[in-house]
Amino acid sequence: MQSQSASQFQLVEPSELTYQHSDTARDEVFDADGNPKPHWDKLLGSLKTMGPRAFNDRITKARRILRDDGATYNIYSNKASPSHTWGLDLVPSLISSEEWAQIEAGLLERAELFNLMLRDLYGPRDLIRQRVIPPEALFCHQGFLRACQGIQVPGEHELILHAVDLMRGEDGEMCVLTDRTQSPSGAGYALENRTVMSRVLPSLFRNSQVHRLASFFQQMRAKLTSLSPNQDQPRVVVLTPGAHNETYFEHAYFANYLGFHLVQSGDLVVRNGYVWMKALDGLSRVDVILRRVDDLFCDPVELRSDSQLGVANLLEVARAGRVVIANPLGSGLLENPIFLKYLPEISKELLGRELRLKSVENWWCGDPKDLQYVLAHLDSLVIKPIFRAPGRTSVYGGTLTKEELGELRQRILQRPMQYVAQPSLEAGLLPSYCHQQLAPRPSILRSFAVAGSGSYTVMPGGLTRVGVEESSFVISNQVGSQSKDTWIISSEPMDPAYQTDISDAAAPTRDADLISLPSRVVENLFWMGRYAERAEASLRLLRTVFMMLNGEEPISRACQRQLLETVTSVTATRPGFLNASEELIANPDEQLLRVVEDADLSGSVRSNLNAMLYCADESKELLSSDTLRVINDVRDALSELEASLSGGLAAAPEEALDPLVTALMALSGLAHESMVRDFGWRFMDIGRRLERSLQTTNIINNLVVPEAAPADQHILLESLLLSVEGLISYRRRYRARIGVQSTLDLVMMDTTNPRSLLHQLERLHQHIDKLPRAPEARHELSPEERTILQAETQVKLSLLTELNAREDGQRTQLQQTLANVSQALGGLSELISDKYFNHRETSRQLVSNSNWENN
Amino acid sequence: MRYRVKHITEYLYSDSVSHCYNLAHMIPRSSLRQTCLHSDVKISPMAAHSSRREDYFGNQAYHFEIQRPHKKLVITATSDVETQEQSASVDLDLGITCAEAREQLAQSTRPDLLLSKEFILDSSMIRVNDELRDFATPSFEDDRPLLSATMELTRRIFKEFTYCPESTTIATPLADVLKNRKGVCQDFAHLQIGCLRALGFPAKYVSGYLETLPPPGKEKLVGADASHAWLSVYSPTEGWFEFDPTNNCLASEQHIITAWGRDFYDVTPLKGVIFGGGESPVLNVSVDVARV
Repeated sequence: MQSQSASQFQLVEPSELTYQHSDTARDEVFDADGNPKPHWDKLLGSLKTMGPRAFNDRITKARRILRDDGATYNIYSNKASPSHTWGLDLVPSLISSEEWAQIEAGLLERAELFNLMLRDLYGPRDLIRQRVIPPEALFCHQGFLRACQGIQVPGEHELILHAVDLMRGEDGEMCVLTDRTQSPSGAGYALENRTVMSRVLPSLFRNSQVHRLASFFQQMRAKLTSLSPNQDQPRVVVLTPGAHNETYFEHAYFANYLGFHLVQSGDLVVRNGYVWMKALDGLSRVDVILRRVDDLFCDPVELRSDSQLGVANLLEVARAGRVVIANPLGSGLLENPIFLKYLPEISKELLGRELRLKSVENWWCGDPKDLQYVLAHLDSLVIKPIFRAPGRTSVYGGTLTKEELGELRQRILQRPMQYVAQPSLEAGLLPSYCHQQLAPRPSILRSFAVAGSGSYTVMPGGLTRVGVEESSFVISNQVGSQSKDTWIISSEPMDPAYQTDISDAAAPTRDADLISLPSRVVENLFWMGRYAERAEASLRLLRTVFMMLNGEEPISRACQRQLLETVTSVTATRPGFLNASEELIANPDEQLLRVVEDADLSGSVRSNLNAMLYCADESKELLSSDTLRVINDVRDALSELEASLSGGLAAAPEEALDPLVTALMALSGLAHESMVRDFGWRFMDIGRRLERSLQTTNIINNLVVPEAAPADQHILLESLLLSVEGLISYRRRYRARIGVQSTLDLVMMDTTNPRSLLHQLERLHQHIDKLPRAPEARHELSPEERTILQAETQVKLSLLTELNAREDGQRTQLQQTLANVSQALGGLSELISDKYFNHRETSRQLVSNSNWENN
Repeated sequence: MRYRVKHITEYLYSDSVSHCYNLAHMIPRSSLRQTCLHSDVKISPMAAHSSRREDYFGNQAYHFEIQRPHKKLVITATSDVETQEQSASVDLDLGITCAEAREQLAQSTRPDLLLSKEFILDSSMIRVNDELRDFATPSFEDDRPLLSATMELTRRIFKEFTYCPESTTIATPLADVLKNRKGVCQDFAHLQIGCLRALGFPAKYVSGYLETLPPPGKEKLVGADASHAWLSVYSPTEGWFEFDPTNNCLASEQHIITAWGRDFYDVTPLKGVIFGGGESPVLNVSVDVARV
């Protein structure tokens, strides 16, 4: 489809990119006479000369950067593949600095007003006493949380962050559609958009005199830090609902950019009246929480009791002033659209003047006159529930059938206070790039303000979103809208003081914090290491088995059975080939394919890699951009797997697995070469070494313990060497027919071989010696040290002749040794998780893959 | 009257609870006709942290966290309370009529009246509907005094509904109570509140205790008193008045208030989260109201 349309356009592809206006009145680019406004000149000129071909190249580059940064937006309704790369249209939205000055002043004023409203409504409620708003306007809204009365925030402002959705009305003036006041999202995406734009269109960006964003984020960091009730080295954390939240990317991005820890509900705990983060070295006190969890979900004791996203007793700690939450719990109350109706009066009461920035016209069905009007004009209004919740969305009466309008009328009449109505507005149009040309698209702008000392600071710019079609009514990322960077264009060259590059504002050092990683993150890194290694070991073994089964020398049925049983045992995909029928052994392809790519088969390569990707998502904020890129390669190789295996296993199936092996090798190489040697890295490597030891033990056990006929034995040993990457070293060293003792020497005892069992055990020992522990006066070893020492000693003290000794067709001594090592390693894994990882008693397993643990 | 109230709540778990966080509404608040002279809460096992505050409705909220494993939780709240009769018990037939009350609620600009409107709106456990309105309407003729009409509604609920301790759980929907004509004190309070709100009168839920007197000649049993619930209605000119539909009376000196709110949910005696504990914990509550 794509290539077809591309070729269609090639015939008529214009060499220039130009923008034609369709509706001058609504178009933001043109003035009343149909001429482009001056601040658009430079951009339109550059796009024109650039042409679609060059522009497409920039788009490709931008997509790659977004993907490598892991910029995603999760769409809830799409269960199969919820994670979408963030959509950025490279044509920015431009606003002249003269106009912006007006808008900014309006936004500052509005933030101040909302702050005063928050204070009054959770305080004296003078707005009701003075009859500025009817009591029902407050009391009927589910966002008014009575438990949040009495929360105090240090400093001049209660409302720390305020975001506003703006739209250009028919008169050309900006007008407010909604306010976002509990945990406004989007600022991080705006920053990511800016970063990408400045990289893919560097000269255009440099020459356009664009106001920079960095100072806004500096202000945000300073404000959050200043909120701490504890002046000495405050700890600020970002609380996210988790990797499945629609804007998780932003949470991780923010945490990283601002230098704060990213935590989930299970990482925090209330004890003795304070909030603590469960870290590797124990509990660390938390002073400030930037929360991205909605009000109602933050505390199961006093708010929604079924919430798994909050922290028990958080609200009581906040009321006592021992932790500060931004925005304070309960601030979602200000998102109540009924207030828009009364805003002019509220503003006169609290600020002494009317607001400069007007809001969308608003009728409240709780008011009898308004109700009458709404019912009479139902088919031309947008009806909004006053409280945002899943399943309660706005509807435009114009799109409804007669019957549906009747139902809507009934719903409104049943609970009139719960609805407001607004006119259906036509948003201002912006040029957007689609199908090789610039076309007008409706747009809305989300702006952001953060409290500072004295007043608010508004981000110079914001997140612009455009509709999918020229006539789009809903503009939301949930329906696939694209976003744009927003440029405030200065008419004069920028003051160098403002030219701070974004990178200058990068996070402060976190050295002191390195040890205080949330233990959940460390656990995810540990499992990421284990799953990656598990998948890699399975892949190598499968590749080897494919080669042997399809090799030029036919192998015996007994040997084939043994190899296939090894696959089942090592991948833990029982029953598989264990005690399989002769028929299955003779025709193993289908089952082997399942072991590679059946996501529902626990233990398959795909299921392990999915688990690995999940762990990577959960510890995203600690992974470098290079690592994220390689993880994307793994994701790509995984999605290509299906296509390359679609023809069955007929032709060189081992080659289909190569890209995955390569990507996994790159991942482990990168971890080795470019990850800071902190505890995160250490736990990832422990996971890797532990898994590799277990896998190697398992393969040796399956291939070498049973005594085989000489011809078979050769094939089994060769398979062993191939699957642990030892064949070439072996041949170089021994130049002889492969023997059992020399093979065991290489794969078990030789510490110069980086894949040998003993090498893994020695590395594990080194890691364990360096883990944090409580100072101990005594000299006895910790249980972990004893366990690893046992395993290591067991291998070191083995004699090759004894390992090779046979009894009733089995190498019993070898079997015993391997079993002891394997048991010690299983114990070690448990000791480490008990001691260092965080166990939520009510929680689910990280990734369900339990038959591995019983293996 | 002066009382000492001892309210013991005991949870027995089948499995160990490693830690828990709780919020209790067990300390009597003060009101126009009641003063809480002294109160004390004891938690076993000992709480790692506890705090007490006045909540949104002016009730005493008691928070505590336990950080040691336990299979049994005991909360003992002991309070000394001084109570009085309500001033209106003299004559319900005086005072403003239903029509006047409605008029005042619609027109008046007095702050206390504006704020009382919070108690006309739906709350989590009480949602107004036509059945409630139809049930209530006959008692509230326009020219009848509001308090007299409310007493009539109280009497009707007492007469037409069966008190039946096993009939409901806390979460019984009002529609079921109305249909089955039976319930416990919470249900009757919720029912009457729903009726009052359906007609546009502010009404709130009151939780507390009722002193019970032993049958003549018998010794009073310790722990035989019970947690109780009734309601309070707002008259625009006279303020709040408490009615008890379970006992067909106005609340008296023997009604000791713990807390009030929009419904049971706002004043749940004990809520919170536990970690561990196994299936179906056993709850034992004993209340003892003694004159002192």
